[in-house]
Amino acid sequence: MGDALNQKENQEQTFRTIEISVFRYNPYSKHSKPRFETYSLSETPSMTLYIALSKIWATMDHHVSFDFVCRAGICGSCAMVINGKPRLACKTRTEEFLDGKITLMPLPTFKHIKDLQVDTGSWMNAMSQKVESWIHTKEKTDISKIEKRVEPDVAQAVFELDRCIECGICLASCSTRIMRESFIGAVGLSRVARFAIDPHDERTDADYYELVGDDDGIFGCMSLMGCEDHCPKELPLQTKIAYMRRKLVSQAIKS
Amino acid sequence: MNKAEIYEFLTSRNKQKKKSRTPARLDAIQSATGAILALFIVFHLIFESSILLGKEAMYRLTKFFEADFIFEGGEPLIISALAFVVFVVFVLHALIAMRKFPASYREYRRYQTHRHLLVHNDTNLWFIQITTGFMMFFLGSIHLYTMMMQPSKIGPFASADRIFSDGMWPMYLMLLVSVVLHAGIGVYRLIIKWGVFDGVQPQQNRLLAKKIIKWLIVFYLALGAVSLVTYIKIGYEHQEHYGERYHKGVKE
Amino acid sequence: MKIIYTDALIVGGGLAGLRSAIAVRDKGLETIVLSMVPVKRSHSAAAQGGMQASLGNATKGEGDNEDVHFADTVKGSDWGCDQEVARMFVTTAPKAIRELASWGVPWTRIKKGDREVIINGQKETITERDEAHGLINARDFGGTKKWRTCYTADATGHTMLYAVANEALKRNIEIRDRKEAISIIHEGDRCLGVVVRDLISGELCAYVAKGTMIATGGYGRIYKQSTNAIICKGIGTAMALQTGIVQLGNMEAVQFHPTPIVPSGILLTEGCRGDGGVLRDKDGYRFMPDYEPEKKELASRDVVSRRMVEHIRKGKGVSSPYGDHLWLDISILGREHIEKNLRDIQDISITFNGIDPADEGSKGWMPVLPMQHYSMGGIRVKPTGESTTMRGLFSAGEAACWDLHGFNRLGGNSVSEAVVAGMIVGEYFADYCKNTHLQSHTETIQNALEGQYEYLKTILTYNGSHNIFAIKEQMRNVMQEKVGIFRNGKDLNEAVVELEILLKQTREITVNDKSMGNNPELNEAYRVPMMLKLALCVAKGALERTESRGAHYREDFPKRDDANWLKRTIATWQNHEDTVPTLSYEEISIDTMELPPAFRGYGRKDALIPHPFTQNRETQIEKLKEQMGDVDRFEIQEALMPFELPNGYKDKNERIGEKNG
Ligand SMILES: Cc1cc2nc3c(=O)[nH]c(=O)nc-3n(C[C@H](O)[C@H](O)[C@H](O)COP(=O)(O)OP(=O)(O)OC[C@H]3O[C@@H](n4cnc5c(N)ncnc54)[C@H](O)[C@@H]3O)c2cc1C
Ligand code: HEM
Ligand code: HEM
Ligand code: SF4
Ligand code: F3S
Ligand code: FES
Repeated sequence: MGDALNQKENQEQTFRTIEISVFRYNPYSKHSKPRFETYSLSETPSMTLYIALSKIWATMDHHVSFDFVCRAGICGSCAMVINGKPRLACKTRTEEFLDGKITLMPLPTFKHIKDLQVDTGSWMNAMSQKVESWIHTKEKTDISKIEKRVEPDVAQAVFELDRCIECGICLASCSTRIMRESFIGAVGLSRVARFAIDPHDERTDADYYELVGDDDGIFGCMSLMGCEDHCPKELPLQTKIAYMRRKLVSQAIKS
Repeated sequence: MNKAEIYEFLTSRNKQKKKSRTPARLDAIQSATGAILALFIVFHLIFESSILLGKEAMYRLTKFFEADFIFEGGEPLIISALAFVVFVVFVLHALIAMRKFPASYREYRRYQTHRHLLVHNDTNLWFIQITTGFMMFFLGSIHLYTMMMQPSKIGPFASADRIFSDGMWPMYLMLLVSVVLHAGIGVYRLIIKWGVFDGVQPQQNRLLAKKIIKWLIVFYLALGAVSLVTYIKIGYEHQEHYGERYHKGVKE
Repeated sequence: MKIIYTDALIVGGGLAGLRSAIAVRDKGLETIVLSMVPVKRSHSAAAQGGMQASLGNATKGEGDNEDVHFADTVKGSDWGCDQEVARMFVTTAPKAIRELASWGVPWTRIKKGDREVIINGQKETITERDEAHGLINARDFGGTKKWRTCYTADATGHTMLYAVANEALKRNIEIRDRKEAISIIHEGDRCLGVVVRDLISGELCAYVAKGTMIATGGYGRIYKQSTNAIICKGIGTAMALQTGIVQLGNMEAVQFHPTPIVPSGILLTEGCRGDGGVLRDKDGYRFMPDYEPEKKELASRDVVSRRMVEHIRKGKGVSSPYGDHLWLDISILGREHIEKNLRDIQDISITFNGIDPADEGSKGWMPVLPMQHYSMGGIRVKPTGESTTMRGLFSAGEAACWDLHGFNRLGGNSVSEAVVAGMIVGEYFADYCKNTHLQSHTETIQNALEGQYEYLKTILTYNGSHNIFAIKEQMRNVMQEKVGIFRNGKDLNEAVVELEILLKQTREITVNDKSMGNNPELNEAYRVPMMLKLALCVAKGALERTESRGAHYREDFPKRDDANWLKRTIATWQNHEDTVPTLSYEEISIDTMELPPAFRGYGRKDALIPHPFTQNRETQIEKLKEQMGDVDRFEIQEALMPFELPNGYKDKNERIGEKNG
């Protein structure tokens, strides 16, 4: 055991230098031109991009802008393009990049704010409003009475979809969305599916058709699976998009 | 012009004030036509490869399709008709699927840049699909036109002459590669698009589907290529007798 | 510079802010919610464990009700809480959770029949009742008599926040994110609104409303090591303090959690130790049995945290570039157990540290260290949520000292508090806004706005040798080392002095980027002084409080001293130039307590200096109960400590198997 301990300590002492290139641009400033700025820093054990960027910000360049809130992979703030792939920066460890070179870019398809910051919030709110991302029911709940019963498995299935953190990665990894900015993306489609399986919601398939039954919605998806393969919460996007497609197509055929 | 259409044009709603059902139908038709064409090709290439079993086999099969069991000596117009039906499905599919093509150069550029950054298999597959689709728009049309107009010129020698002496083999090679890739990827896409094999382990099943499709593509490419080479060989040997038709007992 | 008018203004879009917004909006008022970040990213989303509400559905929760929840909460607070508020809270919590259920929160539900659980390392089978099938389940949490913590797998706060945020969107509540409130506009003791900085353009703007609510969450980031989100800087609390009028309560009451992972500070739940995981030092030695022979790793949160720090101080910590830490070892539980029951822990450890805790031997040990976790203190408000000293200013959630938690809050009580406070305070807040007229105070508003603009400009003209980032680091180190888990007069004294110096230094810096726009350097330059003021309130409050209560532990005064310290610390910042807060105290009256102070249940029984009135109140209560004879618990409660709730929240909560529910 002593050996293993020593080994652990030894590992911590040999730090390599890594290079992080960050996209820099401030669309609100007349003087700003898009460019990449490269920073070299020494890597510490378990270093995440959150730790690395904070270090750059505090000690090398006070002007670089990026967003982190929870730094634990649960709030969805820190999505960015890391060596080409949209990912959560706080959940990405630097040691994963064997050549020690990391390129960071802001998430595409959202309004660019500055450097690595994009405006996901306004878009997600608009999306939530577009798909009416809340329970629709005529029933009035008396909150001092025992709650409505829900089958445990059904609750679990709803939860699986409710785990979405609105990080926007599914949109940034969807070429359909990259080409057509009006496409609502996997986040919107899986949100509809979430309510469609929730027993509290009384909406019918015809109602859902009104929300996403067009080429900006379910029929815009070309099954490129970028969403499914990059979603940091591993939502069952593939199956739930298919589920909505089946539902809405059969709705259309019936009516 | 029809008023209802104008209303829908202005409001994106139909007369019940509901969202148009057309996109849903188009989506379904796109998949249905794709599936029909894919199914057609699966058999087509098998039949085509009958040449591997010899000229006689190919000849018999051709005659079978000309329904020589009903019409004495076969009726090539049946092939014409069949080709026409396929052509309709083909055009329908192409027209509907074309909605999905990048609509402008800007869209195309954005897709390309994104694809190169993302390095994601399924996203790249889509590129193959639209490229092959685009190619088939021309190649498939030529082929189908030939089949519609010259249905009688099908047979071990006639086909081989067309392929070799008429210099059609490069076209067929391209068509073969396009159609096998396009149909293969298309079927894989159908599977995930409609959740055909989702089951309890959709992710594993997707991988499995991809693997099976990959092997099918390899198989069909090989089959088609070998058949094509066989036709070329026959055509080469037969060039002196260009135009002569095959019939039972013809001199090899 | 713009001025925006509305009926009700809510600063902060976490659970507390958004639920309040709904209450106000439902009364027909125009409502604006401001948030530093998109509201669904608020720190409420981080709560994994769960929400307390006495539903009594689960077998292990059978017999639970408001009274039991009340007693747990008061004991947990080490009698520092406001018992009236605690009563309001426990009565509303079941309604809150049922409302959330109807809004779609996919609470984990009960499956009838047998299920296997692990309790203190022991496998046990429990049988859920048939009539409970499909109702909301609950799990066990520290410091509670019953299993009362309702949950949605490992993302309780997230699902709650999304449901509430979506309900807010449904009601067309104006949500504006990337807006930071930096100062309160007030005329005398009347709040008019806030000055807000747009974090995209840097533009300043005044938001003026009939009533203003601060629901900006905690201030954990004044500590070097914290489980809190990056945005938990307490700017909302600090701007209230800077009015010079608003009072902050119990700022020294700061909770620490024993096992966040190093360096990220992400929480590893108590379940690790509950299932039998152990703590080890740099020699791989299991040290807890030496300190706490009886409960070992399973002693209460604050005790374990203290012992860990004590051990590190003895030089037994493992050194790392992130400071000293200890190891948490769950590998001894075996891979099978971990992959089945502690999946989330394994996920966190692999993702953030590349360590698989199921790996045998020291390979699987996870680096842990006690870190700041929760801020019990905050803006001092009445049970209605209104500031004790400023009219029209309300506060709810972690930002407020409503005083539900006293000196220690129970796990699961704070997301619950955030929603419940949103319901109750939101209602009172709405009433206030309805009955108030917007008067024109254009000049005051204009002055406030220009004042802030000038202040930011001035910061850009500072020309000193200090660096704001270095100052921040020093502050966080001082807090960590001298105002941490163990406190003593000497360290606290030094801390106050050092923090004062740092506060002065914040004016001797140079900001290189002179832009008033999106300028992350400027952000720090105005935020750090505000954080320092809060840090000073914590340090000074801790220095003056010469007793140990709840999370506040003084090595030099290890006893809870009810005789002298049954009171709340009140901090104000009297003058702009001050470098320390002014402290005063608010008595907590035993005469009106439903549950008079007693032994908390752990630690040494003699670690308590009783209050002379305690005995009195106890006999009083006994007598009253005798007089009333055979009546139900509600009547007794009403007689002991009457309380009010708006909007039917006082209705009795129905439970399965409870007759007079
Ligand atoms: C890791 C962790 C786990 C936890 N787990 C649990 C648990 O299991 N159970 C439990 O009960 N509690 C738990 N808690 C505590 C609980 O999450 C919080 O106390 C609670 O969510 C606070 O809610 P809130 O609405 O008061 O504040 P928050 O959710 O923190 O919201 C604050 C809001 O204010 C905004 N804001 C802040 N400053 C400004 C400003 N200056 N201007 C404008 N807007 C501003 C922010 O953008 C945000 O929208 C946990 C806490 C942590 C750190
Ligand atoms: C009813 C319609 C069709 C008929 C009757 C038909 C018939 C034939 C025949 C007879 C050949 C042999 C070559 C020749 O004679 O020229 C051939 C080859 C081929 N056809 Fe078709 N075809 C039809 C439709 C299609 C379609 C729709 C496609 C794909 C878009 C297609 C793809 C091919 C390919 C790739 C080959 C070459 C096969 C090889 O490499 O062995 N055909 N077809
Ligand atoms: C002119 C020729 C063709 C063109 C332009 C074309 C184009 C396309 C395009 C762009 C797609 C993708 C649609 C999407 O991503 O949603 C597609 C899908 C598909 N194509 Fe074709 N195609 C052609 C011919 C064929 C042929 C000959 C076959 C069969 C052999 C075929 C089978 C399919 C299948 C199965 C799909 C998947 C259907 C779906 O996604 O709904 N296509 N086609
Ligand atoms: S679906 Fe996944 S990728 Fe998309 S926003 Fe939600 S969590 Fe992010
Ligand atoms: S990547 Fe895009 S095209 Fe559909 S399957 Fe996902 S939304
Ligand atoms: S900062 Fe919250 S997900 Fe990365």
